[in-house]
Amino acid sequence: MSEPALKAEHLVKTFGDGQVAVRAVDDVSLVVVRGELVVIMGPSGSGKTTLVSMLGALLRPDSGSITIDDVEVTELDGTSLAALRARKIGFIFQSFNLLDALTVEENILFPAHLARGGVRSAKTYAQDLLQQLNLQPRRSARPATLSGGEKQRVAIARALINRPQLIFADEPTGNLDSQSGQDVMMILYDIARDQGCSVVLVTHDPRVLDVADRVLWLEDGALRDRKNEQHSWVKDPVCGMRVDEWTASLFSEHGGDRYVFCSQRCLDRFVVEPTCYAVSTQSE
Amino acid sequence: MIRWILKSLTSEPWHLVASVSAIGGAFALALFFEAVFAGESKQIVAYIDQSDADVWVMQRGVSNMHMATSYVSDWKADKIENIEGVNKVTPILYLNTVMQAGGRSWFSFIVGIESGNARAGPWSIAEGKQLPGPGEAIVPAVLARLAGLGVGDTISIAGHEFTVAGLSDGTFSMANSITFVTLADLADIMSTFASMSYFLVDVAPGVDSIALAKRVTSEIEKVNAVDNRHFTKNDREVAMQMGLEIIVLMTVIGGTLAILLTGFSVHSSVSRKEHEFAVMKALGVQNKMIYFCVMVYAIGLALLGFSLAVILVLVATPITASFVPQVTLQVTMPALLRFIVAALVVALLAAILPVRRIVRIDPVQAFKVS
Ligand SMILES: Nc1ncnc2c1ncn2[C@@H]1O[C@H](COP(=O)(O)OP(=O)(O)OP(=O)(O)O)[C@@H](O)[C@H]1O
Ligand SMILES: [Mg+2]
Repeated sequence: MSEPALKAEHLVKTFGDGQVAVRAVDDVSLVVVRGELVVIMGPSGSGKTTLVSMLGALLRPDSGSITIDDVEVTELDGTSLAALRARKIGFIFQSFNLLDALTVEENILFPAHLARGGVRSAKTYAQDLLQQLNLQPRRSARPATLSGGEKQRVAIARALINRPQLIFADEPTGNLDSQSGQDVMMILYDIARDQGCSVVLVTHDPRVLDVADRVLWLEDGALRDRKNEQHSWVKDPVCGMRVDEWTASLFSEHGGDRYVFCSQRCLDRFVVEPTCYAVSTQSE
Repeated sequence: MIRWILKSLTSEPWHLVASVSAIGGAFALALFFEAVFAGESKQIVAYIDQSDADVWVMQRGVSNMHMATSYVSDWKADKIENIEGVNKVTPILYLNTVMQAGGRSWFSFIVGIESGNARAGPWSIAEGKQLPGPGEAIVPAVLARLAGLGVGDTISIAGHEFTVAGLSDGTFSMANSITFVTLADLADIMSTFASMSYFLVDVAPGVDSIALAKRVTSEIEKVNAVDNRHFTKNDREVAMQMGLEIIVLMTVIGGTLAILLTGFSVHSSVSRKEHEFAVMKALGVQNKMIYFCVMVYAIGLALLGFSLAVILVLVATPITASFVPQVTLQVTMPALLRFIVAALVVALLAAILPVRRIVRIDPVQAFKVS
């Protein structure tokens, strides 16, 4: 169980130079073991996507090391990185990213062309996945005709087709309704539990906390310890609704205090006239 | 994989149709000028071609017909006829001049032929007589149509009036037209006596024209004899000198346009699919695979465009012939082959344009929420 699938040490990534430089990821180290479901949470802009891009061999860190299967990823050239992604890593994106011109089945089989086994051997597995993810009736459909939940299930099948040891999912439920989001979460949970595949999941969705093996909290590019409480309730200063500070993604600063909002609408109103709302203290 | 990437590249039918049409248009333009050039260069030597003499004999120092002047004493015909291997000698008089017809001036080649001898006369008649009698002329049917003339109307050649007795086919091009009159009438116009311009020599079966031409040149003083093939070549060279440059220029413009349009289409297809390419890269597709597919796509576009151009020009040929009779279009096999090669070169050039762009597409883009 404790065999590491991925090991990252002292990862740093900065965008831009000088005055406009943003240290998106600042000295992050972590180990993901086989079959583990790791959740990364953190406010918007805290570097979650940047971190996942580096772990998934899509983006080169400025410094630090990433080891997958005893291979030092940061030393590979572009061609080897692409080959590594094709064989060992699966991605699930917030905006699904299916190829519009291809059918559901072709989308699922697409990465199989890049694996050693080829498409023929992957076809049977694709049938299983279609079955498991309840996509069989839609196998010949074009992505444009699918619902969001269906699209994300196709994307999950595509990520699984080459039986990767690592799956990275960046806000996979961000564009889904509550029920479809719940389904996707449970599928990812099953993947980690049943297939021995490690899943690194970036999300704002608090429901996943119950099934995650580990939750990492990223803030300003660095991993922080998360308090033990499951929730930290604060009040939206505009509408007065209860918001979980840990998972909320909308913030604003005023007079040295930090405010959390339930929606963009509330945030927009606050920004126009902060003094109207900032008077009441937030914490309950 | 290649098939699926191509499927993605070609997933927008209207974009594809627009690209192929634009490329097809540019190729059609180039092909059209090429066809005009081929048609004109065939038409310009139509008389030499159709009269099909094995050897042409003319004044020494002259080696072609277009815009040339040649005088040879008529008695030399007998001397040529006596050379072994010569079957038949037919004399013609020939003059480049301006002719008045239907109130307009027409640059024309006037050919004077022996009365009653069709050997050097018009080869295809649309209407009226085949051979001119005294005071009669056989004019090109196309010229008659453009000038609004018919059989029985009057034209004027160098101040002499002639009655149109017949209309001939295949005797008109943008650069020249051929009018036939009798030898005697043309001699009168040219004020010559006992002189001919050219002798058309037919050789006996099995005799080598080139060798015979050499013999004629060496045995008969002050003449130049040229075999049919070289005579045609000389004439075409002289006649096409100026036209050629223009046509080559137009063909180059059409070709450049095709390159630009193919390049633009390929480039815009790549741009439109940038996000999908980023996703493919994130999934592990290599740059060279994407690049290969873009190249196949470019070749496909160029070949489709080219096929469309061929169809357009083949359709345009008969239409041009009936609406613009003075232009002769000819689509030749060598020209088509040359254009296919050009189309492939165009495709490869066009595929080079988006290389940098493809390489620069960042797979991290796949995480961007559209
Ligand atoms: N390509 C880039 N160029 C410049 N700055 C970037 C780039 N990518 C990310 N950043 C910056 O790095 C920081 C971290 O961005 P990142 O997208 O990783 O955050 P995130 O935690 O995924 O946010 P969200 O929850 O909104 O998706 C942000 O300040 C962002 O503006
Ligand atoms: Mg993000």
